[in-house]
Amino acid sequence: MTSAAADAASADAATGDRHPLIRAVDVAITHEGSTTPTPAGATFDLVRGEVTLLLGPSGSGKSTLALALNGLIPQAIPAEITGSVRVAGQDAATTPVARLSADVAMVFQDPDAQLVTGTLFDEVAFGPENLRLPVDVVLARTEDALRRVGLWERRSHNPDRLSGGGRQRLAIACALAMGSPLLVLDEPTANLDPAGIEEVYATLTDVVAAGDRAILLIEHNLDAAVGFTDRVVVLGHDGRTVADGSVDDVLRARADELHAMGVWLPVSALAALRLREAGWALDPLPLTPAELHAALEAAPAPLAVAEHPPAAQHPQAAEHPPVAPHPPGVRRPVVLEARGLTASRGRSEILHGIDLAVHAGEFVAIVGANGAGKTTLLQALAGVIPVPRGRVRIGGPDSGVDPARTDLRALSRRIGFVFQNPEHQFIAHTVFDELAHGLRLQRLPETEVRERAEAVLERFGLADKADVHPFLLSGGQKRRLSVGTALVAGAPILALDEPTFGQDRARAEELLALLQQLNADGTTILVVTHDMQLVTEHAHRTILVGEGRIVADAATADVFADEAQVRQAGLRLPPLRTALHGLSRHPELATIARVADLPGRVEPHPAQHGARA
Amino acid sequence: MTVAIDPYAETRASGRFLAALNPLAKIAAPLPAILVLVLVRDLGTPLAFLALSYLLLLLGAPLTRGLALLLTVAIPVAVVALGLGMSLWTDPQLVDDTAPLVSLGAWTWYSGAVWMGLATGLRLGAIVSLALLAGVATTGPDLVRSLVQQLRVPYRIGYTALAAFRFVPRFGHELDVIRQAHRVRGSHGGRGPFAAVARWWGYVVPLLAGAIRHAERVALAMDSRAFGAHPDRTERHLVPWRARDTVFAVLFWLVSAGILIVCSPF
Repeated sequence: MTSAAADAASADAATGDRHPLIRAVDVAITHEGSTTPTPAGATFDLVRGEVTLLLGPSGSGKSTLALALNGLIPQAIPAEITGSVRVAGQDAATTPVARLSADVAMVFQDPDAQLVTGTLFDEVAFGPENLRLPVDVVLARTEDALRRVGLWERRSHNPDRLSGGGRQRLAIACALAMGSPLLVLDEPTANLDPAGIEEVYATLTDVVAAGDRAILLIEHNLDAAVGFTDRVVVLGHDGRTVADGSVDDVLRARADELHAMGVWLPVSALAALRLREAGWALDPLPLTPAELHAALEAAPAPLAVAEHPPAAQHPQAAEHPPVAPHPPGVRRPVVLEARGLTASRGRSEILHGIDLAVHAGEFVAIVGANGAGKTTLLQALAGVIPVPRGRVRIGGPDSGVDPARTDLRALSRRIGFVFQNPEHQFIAHTVFDELAHGLRLQRLPETEVRERAEAVLERFGLADKADVHPFLLSGGQKRRLSVGTALVAGAPILALDEPTFGQDRARAEELLALLQQLNADGTTILVVTHDMQLVTEHAHRTILVGEGRIVADAATADVFADEAQVRQAGLRLPPLRTALHGLSRHPELATIARVADLPGRVEPHPAQHGARA
Repeated sequence: MTVAIDPYAETRASGRFLAALNPLAKIAAPLPAILVLVLVRDLGTPLAFLALSYLLLLLGAPLTRGLALLLTVAIPVAVVALGLGMSLWTDPQLVDDTAPLVSLGAWTWYSGAVWMGLATGLRLGAIVSLALLAGVATTGPDLVRSLVQQLRVPYRIGYTALAAFRFVPRFGHELDVIRQAHRVRGSHGGRGPFAAVARWWGYVVPLLAGAIRHAERVALAMDSRAFGAHPDRTERHLVPWRARDTVFAVLFWLVSAGILIVCSPF
């Protein structure tokens, strides 16, 4: 036992009845093959009934720390761990995971990877059965857990029939049924669509309200989470605890400092920080959309803003081209056009009569509920799935081609397609060959192939990885390579299918920064996504798809101005729109959808707004 | 998309007697007959076993549309098609003492060849329908439970196998996406069997990478829910071996022996 652990044990004895559920003292974890520990010195207690948010910049080791709380690290995933994690007095590194599961229950990011059995009821009963509880206790716990997440009526269904949000609620029920006083949730909404996120948060709010469980939450979707959080623990860049205290003491009082560190903050807080700089008196700092709304209704506009009419604000935003919306007056050439486009899968028609035109240099988001046909639309436009002749024109009305009559080789010079999982599209054995493949298909001379492939390697920061197998790259490098392979043949249009789905926030931002850069350099970008804040922050234009038709197609801010339509399409307003929507005291703010459009100083941020760098 | 088989689905109309038997009884009972059928060459034995299994299926299994189609269309068609096909393959010298049916130049189709082909078709049909006895009224979880409860298979193996069933549709979908992605990359690689092998090999790496990652995540999730904490686990559903299971198995063996004595295929 280390001396720190011994101290912790004696401290436990001293505190007596207020025995912490978790006592982490100076925890440092070094993964196999890594030299620096992340986290490097995390210290905190978790006590009964409290909801704690674990924050930290990307790479500070939040998820790693979560896995150490029930002993999965180092028992299931080998890693070197120093310091001590004590779970109700037991050493987490040596007490079997299965024993600790009675004290700590986990909910992971991917709902599909947490399913074992064939019905909801069996699934929830699985944990208590493993604990060898008597049958009547298993039944009682299972019923209670399913009722608490609102899935009791569906207990005999196969979990496959649930939506993503439903399956994540099921995972929460499974964790509740373990009877453990602590629930650890690691990015539980990262794989969900907006309706699913709302569902999970409604469930979590109920669980918190019951007050019988402590919760440790790692989450990027903070606007929803912060409302029921009691405490915030922040890990710094070096993976050490830098703040530990109440929401007021940490998030409200030290928001500037955390923001500068690259810690995710609620979008509402970011907006408020920006407004403060513009002279607004927003004190205390609002953290949720509702708080921001109320604070703005209560606050007078600062003089500086009142002197300039809102119209004068827009040119200011336009000084920053990467995030500025397209100037509406400028007509750019059409580079992609669909007229009466239909597409089918099997016997059922998925798209019905789609008309749209994409102009050069646009950043277009295609959004819609699950099954609305947005991926099919993107694939039909890019020639990935067969479409009827004469419906799609890629590359403008005169010089363009019809994907139904063009072979893939010629098409890859016109439009590049990036699949959701970059690994799916890798076909060569080295990074260089991966890029060269597309060029060799064009039958280019080998010297030119080498030259152009190397230029792309350089541009995407992969020059030192040329001889590495694509599967051995890091997640972010794989994503960059997949974008590189789509563009290497010279395509001026890039189509991406859910590129941020299932990724943590940091990696999603890294990709968005890359796309923003490409877009600024003239690449037209089409992206299918569930992430509404991403859409509002980056896309000039949003196409809202519902039941195989275009429901709305306009500038992003205009699409999100119609809340009823957005909700009807199975989507939700992003947090900032929720906060500003219907603001009666400051109508000039009511239509703003992006933090960058708010009055205030533009401050490029290393991690969160790297896109603007 | 093909119809996914749901190994967890509860069979409806479970009041019928096959559903009420222990899964192991339904495997043990027809097993000797299946082994014997691999060896027999005559026509009567497979026909008798085919009749026996049809009788039991019709009386004892929940008669779904799928099963009805299987029994009335798929198996008979397969038996006849296989029988005729095999008869064309049969070595004519073995059967040149039987009546010729068709002569085309030097080649003659003998009636003996048809009988031999049909015997083969019937054997396969009988084996399939005997296997159906074990399959149609058994759910995956029940089979796992009885393996754990009666055969003392460690539950960690049984339930892990059950969790692995969940992987199948997921990988099917993933394979579709990978093929689509490779097609878009233009990695068709040409026609012919060698190109096809190379193409499929290209699918294996991403599929395996995804599979391993998924399996690791599932394993972590199962560990966090106390899987394997104790040498055994609570069983809410007991799948007992009752007297009727013994009766069913022994009766089935006796009838099998009777058929073999009457038909004496050896």
